[in-house]
Order: sequence, then C-alpha cells, then structure tokens
Amino acid sequence: MENKNKPKIAIVSLTSCEGCQFALLDLGERFLQLTEMVEMVDFRLIEDEEDAGVKLDIVFVEGNPMTKANVKTLKEARKRSNLLVALGNCAAMGGIPEIKNYHEKTNTIKHVYKYIQGIQNEEVKEIDNFVKVDFTFPGCPINGEEFLKYLPELIAGHIPIIPDSPVCVECKKAGNRCLLLDKKPCFGPMILGGCNAVCPTSRMVCQGCRGLRPTGNVKAMRATLSQMMSDDEFENTTEIYGLRDDIEESMR
Amino acid sequence: MLLKINHIAKMEGHAGFMASVIQGDVKSAKLEVQEGIRLIEGVLVGRHYRDMPVVAQRICGICPVVHNLTSIKALENAMGVTVTPETEKLRALMEYGQIIHSHALHLFFLSLADFLDMDNDIKLVQEYPEETKKAIRLREYGMDIVRVIGGRVVHPLTNEVGGFKKAPNSEALKKLLADSEKTLQTAKEMGEFFRGIRIPEFYRETEYVCLQKNGEYGIYDGDIVSNRGFHIPVKNFETSFHELQRQQEVIKRVEHNGESYMIGAIARININRDKLKSEAQKYLTSLAWKFPYYNPFGNILAQMTEVIHAVENSMQLIRELLNSDLDQVVTKDYAVKEGTGAAAVEAPRGTLYYHVDVDAKGYIKNVNIITPTAQFLSNLEDDIMAYIPSIIDLKGKDREKKLRAFIRAYDPCISCAVH
Repeated sequence: MENKNKPKIAIVSLTSCEGCQFALLDLGERFLQLTEMVEMVDFRLIEDEEDAGVKLDIVFVEGNPMTKANVKTLKEARKRSNLLVALGNCAAMGGIPEIKNYHEKTNTIKHVYKYIQGIQNEEVKEIDNFVKVDFTFPGCPINGEEFLKYLPELIAGHIPIIPDSPVCVECKKAGNRCLLLDKKPCFGPMILGGCNAVCPTSRMVCQGCRGLRPTGNVKAMRATLSQMMSDDEFENTTEIYGLRDDIEESMR
Repeated sequence: MLLKINHIAKMEGHAGFMASVIQGDVKSAKLEVQEGIRLIEGVLVGRHYRDMPVVAQRICGICPVVHNLTSIKALENAMGVTVTPETEKLRALMEYGQIIHSHALHLFFLSLADFLDMDNDIKLVQEYPEETKKAIRLREYGMDIVRVIGGRVVHPLTNEVGGFKKAPNSEALKKLLADSEKTLQTAKEMGEFFRGIRIPEFYRETEYVCLQKNGEYGIYDGDIVSNRGFHIPVKNFETSFHELQRQQEVIKRVEHNGESYMIGAIARININRDKLKSEAQKYLTSLAWKFPYYNPFGNILAQMTEVIHAVENSMQLIRELLNSDLDQVVTKDYAVKEGTGAAAVEAPRGTLYYHVDVDAKGYIKNVNIITPTAQFLSNLEDDIMAYIPSIIDLKGKDREKKLRAFIRAYDPCISCAVH
C-alpha cells in the first residue's frame, strides 16, 4: 500500500455508531475508487495491520471522546496530521450522547448500570474542546456525496466553505410540499443545507443535525415554531443533535 | 501464559482480547471492550416517545433499521397501537434489506480474508475482483431496499409509530423487483464461492435461541424459542433471560438458566431451516451439515444461506406489496396511552429485544435494550476457551490470527453491545 505520491488519509473512530464511516463505505465502488486515489492508513474496517504512526495529510474523526483512550487517540491524530476534519454530528456538536449534559448529566448512568465504579462517565464534549478542527462535514450521518465533493479541495490543502444556504433550497428543488405549511415543526429555514433535504423529502421534519447556518434568523424561526410546538418541545428537540447550546447562544 | 490482542480491527466498534493459559489449562478468556458509554437508555428516560426511534437507531451505524423497528414495535405494544398488514410487510422487507447488506459486508469484507489467510481487503479485492463486484452488488441490493422504504440507509427516516410517514414509490419498488432475479443469481454464485472456503473444524454444544413464527422464517415477528424445546412469548423474555452486569464491565451479559447461549444466523438456521425458501434450502442441503450444527465458524455459511433466503423472501414481499394498496402503510391517527411494551426483531446478529414504559402523556419512564452481541458475548468467550487448546502450539502471530478469525466469525457489534 506504500506510495509516496498519494496523500495519506486516516479515519479515526471515537465512541460512536460508526454510521459516518458507513456512509462512506456505502458509496460502494465509488468508495473503492477513492481508496485508489489516496493511501488509506489504518482503515480498521478493511485491514488488520496496525499502523506505524506515519505522518498524515488528513485525518477524519467521527464520534465523541468519551474515554481517556479516546482523548489520547484524538490528540495523537491531531499531532500526526496536517489537517483534522470532524466527521459528523457527534464529533462536531456532541450528537445524541450529549443529551445527557442537558438533563441528569453524569447521573444519567444510574438508569443504565448497577455498578458504576471504575466506569468512565464524563460530560460529553465536542472534539474542538480538545484539538483544533480545520473543517467539519456536518450531519447525522454525513452526506457521502458531500464528502466526495469537498475531498479534492481538502487534499489540495484548501479548507472548503459550505454555502450559507438553508435546507429549504434543496427541499424546494426536490419538489416537496413545505412541512411548515402543514404545521409540522421543521427546522429547515435556520439549518445549514447540503444534505439534499433528505429528511423533509421523507416527510420527516428537519431537526437540525447539520447545525445552524451562519445567517439564519433563529428568533424569527422560534416565533414561527411556537405556533406548532411548546417551548418545552422545542427545547427537547434541539437537544437531539446538540443544537440547544448553539441556539441559546444565538438568542442572547 | 497470557494471550493478548490489543485491538481487533474489521468489526463494528472497539475491542481487544485477553486469555490466560496455565500449564495448558485455559483459565480465562475475555473480550476487552474499549468503547465509551453513550447511555442511550438513560438519555431516553423523560423524553417524548416520538424521539425514541430517532435516538435509539443511532446506537448502530450498521444496523439502525432493526433498532428503529424494534423500538417502534415496543412503543406500539406499550400504547396499544395497531398497524396494517401492509405496514408489517413493508417493515419486514426493510429488515430483510438490513440483513442482506449487513451479512454481505461481514461475509465478504470483514471475515473472508481470514479464511483465505490474507492480511487485508486491499489484497482480497485485487485477487478476487469478480467476487468483490458481486459482494458490492448484493450489498447494494439490500441498501436499495432500505433506501426506497426508509429514505436513507444509515438512520432511515420514514418509519414511525403507527406506520410510515410516506409510502414508498411504486416505480422504485418495481425496479427493485426487476433487480431481484439477477440479485438472486448473484447470491447463488456467491454461495458457490463461499462453499469452497475451508471452515475450521471445531464443535462445542450450546443452546441456540431465536424468533419463530408459524409458517415462516421468523425475522420481523415471532415467539422466543430454543433448540432445547424452550418456547415463550416475547413479553416474558426478561423473566427467563437474565441480564447482569459484572463490576467494571460496560457490556451487560445475558444468561439463560445460568448458562451462555448462542443467537444469530447459525441459531436461526439450526432452528428454522425447514422454513427457508427453496433456493436457500437447496444451498443449505449442498453444505451437507449434520444438525444440530455446533461449529461457530459455520456462522459464515449460515449468513450466506440467509442472504439467498432474504433475496427470495424480499422478492415475494415486493410482489405482494405491489399488488396491495400501498397508501395503507401511511400512519393514521392513534391515541397516546400509558403502558408497558416489549418487542423483538431478528437483527443480522441475533434477537434484538426492547422494553419500554410510557406515561399517559407519551413520555418515557423506563427503557431496556438487550442487544445480540451482549447476549452472545459469554458464549463467544466459552467457545474460545474450548478452542484455544487446539491452537496453543502455533507461533505467536499465527495463533493471534486464528483468534481474530474466530472472534470475527461471530460478527460482534461492540457499538450495539455497549450503547
């Protein structure tokens, strides 16, 4: 696999469902073509060999740093790589596991385990609390097509910019009837597009897994949504993908 | 002597392995889990039931469909919500799609290299380009089923309590049907290829457990049965199967009558083989297994048999759905009610069990999720203890390879097991 001319790339998986990695693998033959373009280092899903810690061009990180070993892996990944890229909602925004921060915090464990001594149970923190993140592929899971679109730029050493456009643009293009018109609490207008509006196309409301768009009007959106859901329901929904803290900040 | 593997690649999630052997006696064998705790059951407590399938399916990126389906069924049982036969068929089809793509991944990309004595899949892909294409084609067929019905492969979107947010496009279903004949041919060719690999000889008796339903191969529905004549409804699962946590362990183990037991493809084939569709039956017969078949490496060929069966069964389900009124799958109004519900669905790796308590306003009071890997973990370790003496005289690296191959044949999913 050694090839000096090909850029070296690794995918590091912290505590997660590994769904972002599967969103890549599920590209099938196009994923295999990708592995010919770059040198995949330590790709756990396809090889057994442990890597020797070579210098990397790009490291992609999915999941949450939940254990001391996860934090160590994350910091080492940063050290050995030119670019570090967050892969998906957990790494970027805390994801599903971060729900616990908003409620019972580390006490959440009592619903699950009888013996809690010796089990690592910190509050959930996004990876940028530990290392510098150069770029984020948002989403739960990431959009494989978007990955293929921006990868060449990253390989060239440029940081791509995802256009500041709401989910609604792609939703309209897909010919969907607006869920808000049916009084369904869709977050689309304030959320960063680029997902092909995959949720509203399936009549599932957008719950914001890609995060707020830079110039979205959160206050106006909250006023619109208040006709369709209570404040409690709104708050709970924003917790699913770790959006709540970002919304609170933008409302200040 | 300590046998230690720091990290086992090519499986879902993170784990290593450690065994201790003293003067030829295997004293202990243990899968060492390196996954953090996400506390999915804990974060669900106090949330509205509508969030449960969305949150719970994110336990696993390979098998979100089965977490989605099982959580929805448990909620429907808790609130007394009934669904149409069309909805049940569409869900069963989705689960078959899930099984096809998960098995195809495990069979070819995660496990096959072990049986051909190769280090990585890059070599595998180079040496077997035709088979690689076939494996991808099979996987894509399974993924297409999930995509057409669920709107997306990883973390599907349409399925909810009461039915579906949207009926699948009938043109897309027709295209799936048109692909099915060719896919069945591909599955049979893949089966021939896998029949040629050498399965190591190792046998240890155990109890096999899975779902069983009258007249069909139990996947989406059924009672809990075992090859030892045990038979209970799913709602009694927790009174017979005991979940226990050892100190400092993040995977809870499950015992039946104080002993380990086995689930997944090999259990289903052992118990339900007479319900397989015709081509899958033929394939299984060609393997000339003597039942009960107690070789855990046989899980690979059991999965291969299930892929053939799943393609045949999917074809039948698609035909039936195309001849019915697809709009019947769309969710109708239902009442939110207080209650307790349990449900089980056969995941690729075995029976997935959910239990949920919902209050009168639809908020979740309590959840328990028992995953396949948590159930077979003790059986895996018991098997390995019995397996080690046969490989103990090999050189360090060769021995380690055998251990990795053994663990991978089980197809463990550590993300599911810890959740």
